[in-house]
Amino acid sequence: METLKEFFSFQDPSIIAVTVGAILLSSSSAVVGTFTFLKKKALVGDAVAHSVLPGICLAFILSGTKNPIYLIIGAFVTGWLSLVIIDHISKKSKLKEDTAIALILSVFFGIGILMLTNIQHSGNAAQTGLDSFLFGKAAALVGNDLIVFGIVAVVLIATVIFFFKELKLMAFDQDYAEAIGLPVKGLELLLTSLTVLAVVTGIQAVGVVLMAAMLITPAAAARFWTNDTRVMTLLAAILGGFSGLSGAFVSYAAPAMPTGPWIVMIISAIALISFFVAPKRGIISRGMEQRKLQRMIMDENLLKELFHLGEKDHDLYKGRSIEEIIEERYFPEKTLRKSLNRLRRQGFLTKTNGDWRYTEAGKMKGQRVVKLHRLWELYLSEKMKIAPDHVHEDAETIEHIITPELEERLEKMFDRRATDPHDEQIPY
Amino acid sequence: MKIEAKDPVVEIHDLTVSYQKKPVLWNIDATLPKGALIGIIGPNGAGKSTLIKSAMGLLPLASGYMRMFDQPLDKVRDRVSYVPQRESVDWDFPTSVLDVVLMGRYAKLGLIARPRKADKEMAINCLRKVGMEAFVNRQISQLSGGQQQRVFLARALAQEADLYFMDEPFAGVDAATEAAILAIMQEMTAQGKTVIVVHHDLQSAAEFFDWIMLLNMRLVASGPIDKVFNNQLLQETYGGKLTVLAEVGELVRKRQIPSREKY
Repeated sequence: METLKEFFSFQDPSIIAVTVGAILLSSSSAVVGTFTFLKKKALVGDAVAHSVLPGICLAFILSGTKNPIYLIIGAFVTGWLSLVIIDHISKKSKLKEDTAIALILSVFFGIGILMLTNIQHSGNAAQTGLDSFLFGKAAALVGNDLIVFGIVAVVLIATVIFFFKELKLMAFDQDYAEAIGLPVKGLELLLTSLTVLAVVTGIQAVGVVLMAAMLITPAAAARFWTNDTRVMTLLAAILGGFSGLSGAFVSYAAPAMPTGPWIVMIISAIALISFFVAPKRGIISRGMEQRKLQRMIMDENLLKELFHLGEKDHDLYKGRSIEEIIEERYFPEKTLRKSLNRLRRQGFLTKTNGDWRYTEAGKMKGQRVVKLHRLWELYLSEKMKIAPDHVHEDAETIEHIITPELEERLEKMFDRRATDPHDEQIPY
Repeated sequence: MKIEAKDPVVEIHDLTVSYQKKPVLWNIDATLPKGALIGIIGPNGAGKSTLIKSAMGLLPLASGYMRMFDQPLDKVRDRVSYVPQRESVDWDFPTSVLDVVLMGRYAKLGLIARPRKADKEMAINCLRKVGMEAFVNRQISQLSGGQQQRVFLARALAQEADLYFMDEPFAGVDAATEAAILAIMQEMTAQGKTVIVVHHDLQSAAEFFDWIMLLNMRLVASGPIDKVFNNQLLQETYGGKLTVLAEVGELVRKRQIPSREKY
């Protein structure tokens, strides 16, 4: 708690620098990653992330310094190279894209680790901290490095804002983009360069191993909350930025801890929560929707059975006991009681001396379900030529989903016919 | 049987197209008239979609060329519009109906520029034409197949082109949508625009089109509907006579021989 207070008081100017840096880097990769996600190229992002490692090591070997500009150039070169090779393999050979990605990812990463180990054993004093590129170290973002990576991040976000409409069209319908004469090749080049640059900047905070999560996870989490690409991009930036902020804090509170895994854990937790609680697309919301539907079906079935009972002894409004209802059609007693009470609360049934009876509204509702059931049986047997003994099961489901418009069409179609294929009255 | 158009908008000359070296269209030659509703008809795998994709420059040509308005496509792209197959995109993409139709304005807007108010009004107008004005802000994943097709048509209309290539616009749509789309196409051709449609239902083809291209890996016939839409030519298009051509195509693919020699 003390550390938290200390951190957020921003007394130490280096804390501000690290925090701003981590937020900027994470949100810029989230913004670019949104389009990688929408183009369904998540795995490609992973391949690039791993493939920049040999470039970084090579740049260090050649220049002998950790100057970020050299490292970015090196990372850019091998990141790019990996994409070109993946593209070439999947187009020119019999191997599919996923195989090409797996192949390139492991080969490039393997070479990168080899080089890194070599550098670490070379005794070069300047190499200390190079291994933080593996798992990230937000606290290392100071001075010159921060300025360079920060500028790249700002350029990335600005480019996406400028070319937003083109990138969106490319992700949605590339053929159309090409057909209307957009420079598709150039835009693909742009998105690829953006992806590589996003990886290059992000690895300072997250590291190459987990960088793909920084590209894809914020976008995946944001997708649950919105149906608008603009909002989604913004939300991904915010979620990414937030996880970057927490990464910076961890890096401050526990300097020995690698930042990357923490950032990834936090953004993954956000994604997981979104997966469950997001409205409409979330699991919980869908489950509730299903439950509501099942309740509606139960209620309608119950009202329908009360109508059947009423038809038998020509008294629709007669009171019925629970046993009587179960004898007509089996319902688990608990479910039945719940449904009866629900329908009473809604004003479709009344209860006197333990007997349940229709209100006027309840009778209308029950009658409608029976009518729809029989109309649908009629439709299936006459228009679809399905045998009368096969139509009942279908009608059991369809009776609950027919809209008033369809109801009207069915009634007209059969000119309010009096009986269904089983010679039962259709109640209008 | 090939009848030349008097006032050709599209000229196809010795067009051969291959997928991974396997030729799927062989030596197509045809001219198509201005202001007509033109149907490209043929069985599955005849290369109908391939023909209009190569017309839009989406596929590399193995040989030959296509000219529109007597110019290469790149010179007249602003006058040519394209409706891809409905299934070619992910309808769960996070965007609204209006945004999709606005894409039809992108070419006129140019890079970076944002759609202006006038573009939005234009897009809404196009949605009105296809009877979808009530769906302007709807998320596209909520649309039915017919509605998706109407949105694609509205997007093409928003381009304000003179020549339209449409890939299966009638596939999987309801009767009301079919009638609405046909009415719009007829209105367009009445205004002197040319509409070229990939279509696979023979029955409705006879009612819809003024001009027909019968295609089965090669051009069987091209001409006004009353001249070429007859039993003999349909038999030739749909009959099994082309097995040799298909087999040779397969051979070319297996051996990976370029369909045109270099020297």
